Amino acid sequence: MSIIAGTLESTVRLATPLLLAAMGEVIAERSGVLNLGVEGMMLAGALAGFAGAISTGSLWLGFAIGMLAGAALALLHAVLCISLKADQVISGIMLTLLGTGLTTYFGRAWVGRNVDGFDQIALPLLSDIPVVGQAFFSVTALDYLSLGLVPVIWYLLFRTNVGSEITAVGEDPETADTAGVPVFRIQYACVLLGGALAGAAGAQLSLAFTNFWGVEMTAGRGWIAVALVIFAQWHIWRLLAGAYLFAAIDALSFRSGAVRDAVLSGVDIAAVESAVDFLLNPQVMNTYPYIMTVVVLWYVMRQGNLNELGGPSALVDAYSREQD
Amino acid sequence: MTPAIEVESRESTPRWLDYGAPVLTILAALFVAAIPLLWIGANPILVYEQIFLDSLLDLGGIADILTTATPLFLAGLAVYIPLKAGLWNIGAEGQLYVGAIVGTYIGLNYGVPSYVLLVLMMLASGLAAALYGAIPGYLRAEHDVNEIISSLMLTFAATTFTGYLLRGPLQGRGGQTATDRLPAAAELPTVLHPRLHVGVGILAIAAVLGTLLLTRTRLGYEITFIGSNPAAAKQAGISSYKIYILVFLIGGFLAGLAGIIEIAGVHGRLFESFSPGYGFTAVAVALLGRNGVFRVLLAALFFGVLTAGGTTVAITMDVPNALVDVIVALTILFLLTAEFITEYRLAVTVGGKPDTGSEPSMEGST
Repeated sequence: MSIIAGTLESTVRLATPLLLAAMGEVIAERSGVLNLGVEGMMLAGALAGFAGAISTGSLWLGFAIGMLAGAALALLHAVLCISLKADQVISGIMLTLLGTGLTTYFGRAWVGRNVDGFDQIALPLLSDIPVVGQAFFSVTALDYLSLGLVPVIWYLLFRTNVGSEITAVGEDPETADTAGVPVFRIQYACVLLGGALAGAAGAQLSLAFTNFWGVEMTAGRGWIAVALVIFAQWHIWRLLAGAYLFAAIDALSFRSGAVRDAVLSGVDIAAVESAVDFLLNPQVMNTYPYIMTVVVLWYVMRQGNLNELGGPSALVDAYSREQD
Repeated sequence: MTPAIEVESRESTPRWLDYGAPVLTILAALFVAAIPLLWIGANPILVYEQIFLDSLLDLGGIADILTTATPLFLAGLAVYIPLKAGLWNIGAEGQLYVGAIVGTYIGLNYGVPSYVLLVLMMLASGLAAALYGAIPGYLRAEHDVNEIISSLMLTFAATTFTGYLLRGPLQGRGGQTATDRLPAAAELPTVLHPRLHVGVGILAIAAVLGTLLLTRTRLGYEITFIGSNPAAAKQAGISSYKIYILVFLIGGFLAGLAGIIEIAGVHGRLFESFSPGYGFTAVAVALLGRNGVFRVLLAALFFGVLTAGGTTVAITMDVPNALVDVIVALTILFLLTAEFITEYRLAVTVGGKPDTGSEPSMEGST
């Protein structure tokens, strides 16, 4: 049973950055702006959050600084893509490159230091539930925060006027504009919020997960967050499920030896053994999120069109007001 | 009365902007990149002098520039050719890895004469990467799956899978996460300088063939037609299905070639991060050289100078190598800004213009 409890516990911790970053990306994408700079914004959040927490002596201030750093990079993307109508793909890749470059460059001074990260907060009674109690109800404030944000963002996007306006902008900016929706302001707000959440995801990594700063410490989690948005087809609840699924794969890959033994106990067929060995190899398991995302894309598109996929119709198209 | 500023599309781009924009872009990027240099107490002028001038003065420096520009140019074309058809291949990095894996495997396991082996390695790498690259092309052609996302996802699948191979089936005897060293027969010979492998010849070959393909063949004509006006191309009976798959096949082939040339010419063995993100820098290369294969070549050489020079100043002046990433990112940033300037202009009208009623926020004081 300890495998299950341990796996669950790390799943929750690993899901938090994915969930935060992917929720941010959903908001940006639903307003019609694809931001491939998540990895860069997360790195900026991780370094700025870490440096901020050490400099100010406050974890929460550091966390806020991490969010600001993510939003600052996102502002660049917003100016380029919304005001200057630049290509969103290129700008996003630029952002990742810039975030990686700047944090590696300036992060050198912070390598090798440690911070007393966010403590686990055990909720009375709930944390005593066997197996799930420790995993879900004895986690850090940031884990609770990420879970608490899920219904909030779902409500914002799907049950409020602002949410409808965001959707309208992402689906058909021209019509939204005619109807009096402030297209550019909404896109700016969504991209900045997305950046802040990516920054928060990064800060969670350095302040509540590793408790140190390391070069390229996000290790591709920003890209997994991008994949997750598509995997979840832009829905918030599916995003929650997807984040926990991808995190569980990651958590299991750390324990692949034990999992393998559990799966293979009593099995004595060489072919099955080598197949399981292959499928449960940690590196092979780490390819699953990417492959699953492509398969989901393929499967849904095979059935119908982008509308059924749930993607915003005007994603990637810069909106330009016609003057005549 | 306040001046009203509006953004208009330019009818045509002035000639000086067309040629001057890339140069101004690079200067602006270098100017801003001076800030992080000053921050760590380095003299930007001395750093740039070493990157851009000193490296051109000795053969070793030129060898480094050419060998770095080679994968950048091939991967740049792998982005550029699909881009001509209106598609984004963001997966050059993954295709590069697939090529490197297959080529290295053949180099390690087939004992045939060197020139046969090298040709075999190149072809197999190119073909394997072409097939891998064709997946996003096929998914786009057949099911309208967004090629940006699928090519990106397949890149990470490939680089992660490389990690598996290097800890398992392809792991060398040394126990590191790397293959064994290629036998001498599987390594590209060098000329003039111990670091200058013959693979750099592909710079000239690919530049000529690429230009011919795009400007002199029917296929090239169809690619550019579809890219510039998909609806009209369809009217003219050009099959986007065929073209979408073909451009990704070609792109993948070139990226795979880049991968194996980097292994057989520079490293001599496959290891996890043998490519410092060539496939991603390739996006910048393709963008900087957007208007022709030779401009892509120039862009690849520029980034080659930067990357090779960055390695040098990291050693001699203790400037973090990440400076190169920052400069590449800034170059893209200013390029996007420059594109806006070449395509739009600001029309400033003092005294207001007739109110169209659509933009209350632009009206200023009342």
